[in-house]
Amino acid sequence: MPPLLQIDHVSKHFGGLQVVRDLSFSVEPGQIVSLIGPNGAGKTTVLNLITGLYRPDDGRILFEDRELVKLTPHQITERGIARTFQSLRLFLNMSVIENVMAAAYSHTQAQLWQIVLRTPFYRAEEARIRQLAEEKLAFFGERLQGYRFDQPAYSLSYANRRRLEIARAMATNPKLLLLDEPAAGMNPNETLELTDLIGELRTRGNYTILIIEHDMQVIEGVSDKVIALDYGEKIAEGSYQDVVSNERVIEAYLGRKHGNSKSARPPSTNSSTD
Amino acid sequence: MSVDKFGQDEWVSQVGTRRRDETRLQLFIRRLRELPRLVQIGLLIALPLALPLLTANDYVLRVAGLICLYSVLALGLNIVVGFVGLLDLGYVAFFGMGGYGYALLSSAQFNIHVPTLISVPLMGLLAAGMGILLGLPSLRLSGDYLAIVTLGFGQVFVQLTTAMNRVQFPGSDQVINLTGGPNGIPDLDRLHVFGLSASSVTAYYYVLLASLVIVLIFVYRLNQSRLGRAWRAIREDSLAAEAMGIPTNRLRLLGFAIGAGIAGIMGAIFAAWQQSVFPGNFDVTLLITLYAMVVLGGVGSLYGMVLGAFVITALPEVLRPGTQIAGMELAQIAFYGGTLALLTILIRPRWRLVPILAALAVGGVIIHAVFAGLAPDALLVPDEKLSLISNLVQHWLPIPLNVPLATNLGNLAFFAVVILLVLLTQVPKNARIFPLIVTLYLLAFVWETRLSKEPSTTNLLLTGAMLVILMNYRPQGLFGQRRVEIA
Repeated sequence: MPPLLQIDHVSKHFGGLQVVRDLSFSVEPGQIVSLIGPNGAGKTTVLNLITGLYRPDDGRILFEDRELVKLTPHQITERGIARTFQSLRLFLNMSVIENVMAAAYSHTQAQLWQIVLRTPFYRAEEARIRQLAEEKLAFFGERLQGYRFDQPAYSLSYANRRRLEIARAMATNPKLLLLDEPAAGMNPNETLELTDLIGELRTRGNYTILIIEHDMQVIEGVSDKVIALDYGEKIAEGSYQDVVSNERVIEAYLGRKHGNSKSARPPSTNSSTD
Repeated sequence: MSVDKFGQDEWVSQVGTRRRDETRLQLFIRRLRELPRLVQIGLLIALPLALPLLTANDYVLRVAGLICLYSVLALGLNIVVGFVGLLDLGYVAFFGMGGYGYALLSSAQFNIHVPTLISVPLMGLLAAGMGILLGLPSLRLSGDYLAIVTLGFGQVFVQLTTAMNRVQFPGSDQVINLTGGPNGIPDLDRLHVFGLSASSVTAYYYVLLASLVIVLIFVYRLNQSRLGRAWRAIREDSLAAEAMGIPTNRLRLLGFAIGAGIAGIMGAIFAAWQQSVFPGNFDVTLLITLYAMVVLGGVGSLYGMVLGAFVITALPEVLRPGTQIAGMELAQIAFYGGTLALLTILIRPRWRLVPILAALAVGGVIIHAVFAGLAPDALLVPDEKLSLISNLVQHWLPIPLNVPLATNLGNLAFFAVVILLVLLTQVPKNARIFPLIVTLYLLAFVWETRLSKEPSTTNLLLTGAMLVILMNYRPQGLFGQRRVEIA
């Protein structure tokens, strides 16, 4: 089976700063892959490259064996890649359900005249999106249910906003979900719950997931494969245990240790948010 | 873990408080919204529909038609400004294009007379096309920069229509009068459909009312649909919208095109109604008026657009001298009544109103008596033929007989009122009564000597004052939803 997403020798620089350097990795269907690395390692840039917000200087990005580079972000979303943002970017003044329904745009067809005349096709489609949005919100239990539907997004708590962002990304009907630090700013309870949720996104939602996270508990709990970045370069790839005991990873997080490197601790399990 | 994970949150627990806190107006609006849909529509449409039956006065119908016209323009402007969230200051040019386009196709200018059913939709399409052109910079520019570019576009249109009365095409010696220059294009055809020609004010009123109803339904449905959601998503965060699969560029252009198309069609109807077009019909004044309507009504709100158009259009008509109800000047009733209403709303506890009004009345009569005693010949003498209010006022306010003197004193009093109003906001609450009485007395003097004499200036002053008050008490506009920028 070919990989769902393949990053092939991708580089990106901003001015004199090389943010991503000759990066290659792949994500197989059904996998949960984690990107880790110290602050400024280029993790979010990788996400921005995949979703078309940036264009790579060099290299190819293949999704289901088709080139993504040169597509606009909304075309990439149409192909089946959806993301969340590290610094939340909800449609704050729209209601919770509208946030999710708006994301269904790419797989709806109603034309202007159908909307104005409210044809049966339009009504059916509208009902379908509404149901889809309710389904996606139901993923998060009671939290985003019922009376919440019509509340403005700005009235939600921080954790609920993160959940809403995931629901919004799910509404684009993606095959691959890119989660940018979903646990940032969550308390330990919520983080634990999120770990379960990400697992469930795979089993119940059938999504392949690429996740950026600083919280090692989350990474350990969900990852099939961990990729460590430092200064835009891949320094390790493999299972969680392999990567966190990798010397270069430890070095990247803790600095070079003179003498016996075996006694160095793995990266801190306390999340280091930025 | 007995944490109430799924318990009530703050928002829900405050529902009761928010309900209790709602003002009577909000309560009224909520009650209206809870009525069945058909009843709502019936209530809304009944009075406007029956208006020509209630009055035979062409003037009233003309003002009502103007309100419909401005409502539709505000609704079109609201698509770009309220939904897509872009500041478009070139909007009036599309209205003008529709008007001039219709004029060229339906007048003796080039002796072309195209049927209405072709020319009016054609103007909509033309303006929509131009809307896409003007929308193109919006893909690259935003905020202030887009505002400047679009403002320039609007100005260029006015300049072109003024200057294009002597156009010489390259390779031709002939000078063509395209737009009639400052004199405009006169004698346009009336709207005519299937052998029926709209010739009366009533006919045009119904045409404009019908366009308002159609556009209102059109925009309402758009707003509810995937297009409306996508537009609002672009307004909220265009990058996130793009990342969620919304083709932001295409939809921005679509917003511009639809708004411009509405303006183009209305321009054609307006030209046919006025039976002429002039560059002055489409200048910045109209743009400012439209924005005042949009801001007053509440950006993004559809009913707000109609209400804004109603207030801004009706205000100068109310102030116009010569309009009388039961022998009394409408403007005078509006001024004294409005001031009294405002005082009743603002002064708490209400009983305080009694000493204030009493002091005002007694003080005024005393001051008038003093001046009458000092210089009995210099004051306006109460005249039995005048209306009740004017008569009372002239027993109460010492207005000089000499008009230039009255004007000068009125100007001075105006400055005093402005300073006093500023002072009033700074003085502690319990010390406000005396300055308030003085301010009100001076204000009445200013009204009688200056404001009622210059209705157009008064109109601008009142509009400005309204917007200032609105900005402080209800920044989202009368019907607008409060928006959170950062939360």
